[in-house]
Amino acid sequence: MQEAKKKTSLKAKVQKLGTSLSSMVMPNIAAIIAWGLITAIFMEQGWFPNAHIAKLITPMLTYLLPLLIGYVGGRMVYEERGAVVGAIATMGVVVGAKVPMFLGAMIMGPLGGWCIKKFDQLFQDKIRSGFEMIYNNFSSGILGMLLAILGTYVVNPLVVAGSNFMSKGVDFIISIHMLPLANIFIEPAKVLFLNNAIGNGILVPLGIQQASTAGKSVLFLLESNPGPGLGILLAFMFFGKGSAKGSAPGAAIIHFFGGIHEIYFPYILMKPALILAAIAGGVSGTFTFQLLGAGLKAAASPGSIIAILLMTPKGSYLAVLSGVFVAAVVSFLVASIILKHDKSTGDDLAEKQAEMEAMKAESKGKEMPSSQAAQDSVDSYADVKKIIFACDAGMGSSAMGASLLRDKVKKAGIKDISVTNTAVNRLKDEQGLLVVTQEELAERALQRTPSAMHVSVDNFLSSPKYDEIVANLKALSQIQDKPQATENTVKTAEAGDLGNVDFAKVEEVNFIRHDQHIGTVTMATSLFSDSMKKANKQTPVKAVRINELEDSDKHLVIVTAAAKKNLAVRYTDIQTVVVDDLLTDKKLQDVVAKLK
Amino acid sequence: MELQANMISLNQDVATRDQAIRMAGQLLVDAGCVEKEYIDSMIARNNDVSTYMGNFIAIPHGTDEGKQYIKKTGISVVQIPMGVDFSGENDSEQLVTVVFGIAGLGNEHLNLLSQIALYCSDVSNVAKLADAQTPQEIINLLKEVGK
Repeated sequence: MQEAKKKTSLKAKVQKLGTSLSSMVMPNIAAIIAWGLITAIFMEQGWFPNAHIAKLITPMLTYLLPLLIGYVGGRMVYEERGAVVGAIATMGVVVGAKVPMFLGAMIMGPLGGWCIKKFDQLFQDKIRSGFEMIYNNFSSGILGMLLAILGTYVVNPLVVAGSNFMSKGVDFIISIHMLPLANIFIEPAKVLFLNNAIGNGILVPLGIQQASTAGKSVLFLLESNPGPGLGILLAFMFFGKGSAKGSAPGAAIIHFFGGIHEIYFPYILMKPALILAAIAGGVSGTFTFQLLGAGLKAAASPGSIIAILLMTPKGSYLAVLSGVFVAAVVSFLVASIILKHDKSTGDDLAEKQAEMEAMKAESKGKEMPSSQAAQDSVDSYADVKKIIFACDAGMGSSAMGASLLRDKVKKAGIKDISVTNTAVNRLKDEQGLLVVTQEELAERALQRTPSAMHVSVDNFLSSPKYDEIVANLKALSQIQDKPQATENTVKTAEAGDLGNVDFAKVEEVNFIRHDQHIGTVTMATSLFSDSMKKANKQTPVKAVRINELEDSDKHLVIVTAAAKKNLAVRYTDIQTVVVDDLLTDKKLQDVVAKLK
Repeated sequence: MELQANMISLNQDVATRDQAIRMAGQLLVDAGCVEKEYIDSMIARNNDVSTYMGNFIAIPHGTDEGKQYIKKTGISVVQIPMGVDFSGENDSEQLVTVVFGIAGLGNEHLNLLSQIALYCSDVSNVAKLADAQTPQEIINLLKEVGK
């Protein structure tokens, strides 16, 4: 596993980072749209200015969106607890920052989740029962507080510095009159949600200066040009895959006409190479603007094609539209090449991983619920990061199973794998998950979590599958261990005891119910007849009272040493086997083997 | 939480699994842990997905919807030395000698439940529970696990 980790290319790492950044944003697109619409419609320069409603704009951008991102980021790492700590920690970077702290939230959210996860791993099993609530609330509360403080002092200034750096870059390029190159800074900055910082922070003030003398300024167009984003979304429409392809058309409309550029950022984060397409589109768009002398009267905000046209002075329409068009075409072409190239080269690691995972899920689907699949090879356990027991209500069975397996995992010295339980309906699909269920629920669990690995058991308390799971996990952590290897030799050694029993004569096996041990005998009888059935033996097995037997060597009575004394008082001809333990004595298997 | 002696019923003899579940449920009702309706939800849950755990143990409890009838967390014990079959109609026999009736609100019961699980994963321990002569004996047996 370690080797595989080393081999993971830088590209795959960037890709993974991009994916996790985008999965922090994706669930919050609705909030971004809500904010975008409010901004577009009700802001001062909007279509229906309304000062009362416009009060929503700033707090939503400054607080709501970063907090949501931090919340989701924390949840990615550690469920609900991680989410709450992530949100608290995000507050630390949000407060006092001049720029909207999307980037800071993307750092603090997962960091918060990670911290509380590590903290729980250290302390969770040390909590005394009855104190869980106090522990849970105070640990995440205190940790959240510390992280929020850390955020204000450390992360906040870092993000502000980064955003200042981007701004300086743009500033510098404008000062040396190489305007198109400004997009080299602008596009990456946009994707990291610094678009408002750059747009409103630098370009708009400079643009206003220019416009006040020249009547229009091209600076208003640098960041608000929807062309590059449109090109990328169109490329996804034609050459994308899966959900990205499906959602791209809607995103394109919201982006181009609604002017909410934020919506295409996750698509780039999914495939970071696409930033090249955005840059190419931005640079060529700006170049076209300059060439044709395009400009806007004032800032077009949001960057919708409609807002842009409203701000376009008479006579500049063609120039502005050409710039947007060129930007869209260039970024579409570059993005298409990137997306298509990505498809053709199958040796791309991330691609392969995705493929493998899909294949795995498929093969699992076929073999369920035999659970053989899980045993296939040690390899399939390589991805397992956590084990969840699922049952119907999450109240009993799964909790029992989880505590047993947790115990076994712990005793085997396996760390960093958590074992928890839940109701099958609350299962969430994710990578690195091993789901254990009762056979009846296996199908439902598979539907809920197609990308997880599945094992189903019929006996929660003594399933051999637990040992398989632990053995497989252990094999991965390279601890060599060969349990149960010596069992056979032990068996043969003890077999000698049975020498004085004439098995040929035995027609019935009996266990004796006597006053103090009725339960044990019931269970022993059941276990023994199970073993007989499995071994295909015909001799009947019965539990009887001590006075119910016929004194004949047709009966083989299995007893403990103490009970044999009582038996000897009553009977003389009955054959006996004396065992230390009616349920688990190894001698019992030898008796089964010798019977008819 | 701990097991209560008044919620342990020893030496019962029942013919069907539903009777066993009702008995465990009635103990929960009598102790004020659940409303009567909870028992039906225990039966329903067991028909849906068996609460037979292996090793002669069953842990009947309600469905998700049944949770509304829980007033407080509790675990009852019914000892059935002669055993009762918990299997469905067509399955092979699933003999049960100790039934734990469970009403769980939140996570208070998980600690005890996990003790029961760890203890009962050894079938010889289940035999001790199935042979116990007094409620206190069962309580003491399960207490050992925590140590």
